[in-house]
Amino acid sequence: MINLLRVDNRLIHGQVVESWLPTLKVRRVLVADDEAAGSALVRAAMGLAVPPTIDVVIEPLEVMDFPRLASDGVSSLLLVREVAGVSRAFARGVGVVPIQLGNIHFATGRRQATPSVFLSPEELEALKMLHAQGCPVEVRAVPSEKPLSLQELVRRLPPG
Amino acid sequence: MVGLIITAHGRLAEALLDTATQIAGPLERVVTCNIAPGTSPEALRERLHHAIQEVGQGEGVLILADLFGGTPCRESLLLSGPQPVEVVAGVNLPMVLKAASLRHEVRALPELAEALVVHGQRHIQAASALLRAAQEKDRP
Repeated sequence: MINLLRVDNRLIHGQVVESWLPTLKVRRVLVADDEAAGSALVRAAMGLAVPPTIDVVIEPLEVMDFPRLASDGVSSLLLVREVAGVSRAFARGVGVVPIQLGNIHFATGRRQATPSVFLSPEELEALKMLHAQGCPVEVRAVPSEKPLSLQELVRRLPPG
Repeated sequence: MVGLIITAHGRLAEALLDTATQIAGPLERVVTCNIAPGTSPEALRERLHHAIQEVGQGEGVLILADLFGGTPCRESLLLSGPQPVEVVAGVNLPMVLKAASLRHEVRALPELAEALVVHGQRHIQAASALLRAAQEKDRP
């Protein structure tokens, strides 16, 4: 079961390990990312960062078996690097899951929504579509922060 | 001489270096690389590469990172290049002070790293408990 799908450019890092894992109390962390999956060194480093009682699975976006992982009863945090990864996971059968924007850094075409989240108009559209399909969307870097809703996000990023 | 890099979130790296300088005087071949909420891992990677070029002299570079599993630590572990690099996580002030001096004596990076881990850990003490024990012993 996928408790949360978090978009985080840094994937498994301090905030995730120290704040989110204790809050979510999941048994498994899934990382759907080609770059991370493609490097034995990155896989090892990320695996080491997570407490040994929590499983870590790092696979490419097009390989991860989302329908199986979403229904095998193991509570999980799913991490992707970008909003595009969320759309891919959805297209590949991850189902309706809560989506959280944690850390999305600046890139050309993106505008700042919060200190940690920048979005392009296309990314915002993709999130709106996912929301329309039933996925709650929030912006939140750490648990103690007040979450920002999609509505508020849209208000902060007017078109044009 | 082994170069030193302190890499951490926010202003921790700068604060550690400033404080170490206040205590031990100016330190040679040390730079800091920080990561802020808006910093991408790629940007940090570039800063680390520049830092290595700045403080590395061919004898290698020791990187002291704040949090094991954090982005500064992970990016440091993934660095590759002509100079040997060794990473220690969980940097504290005693470790920084020791690193500055010990690297003149211990030049082998893995050995230096191990010694600093021991030193850093040893300096985490339940001070009140120690004091109580010492006072107990002193009692006639």
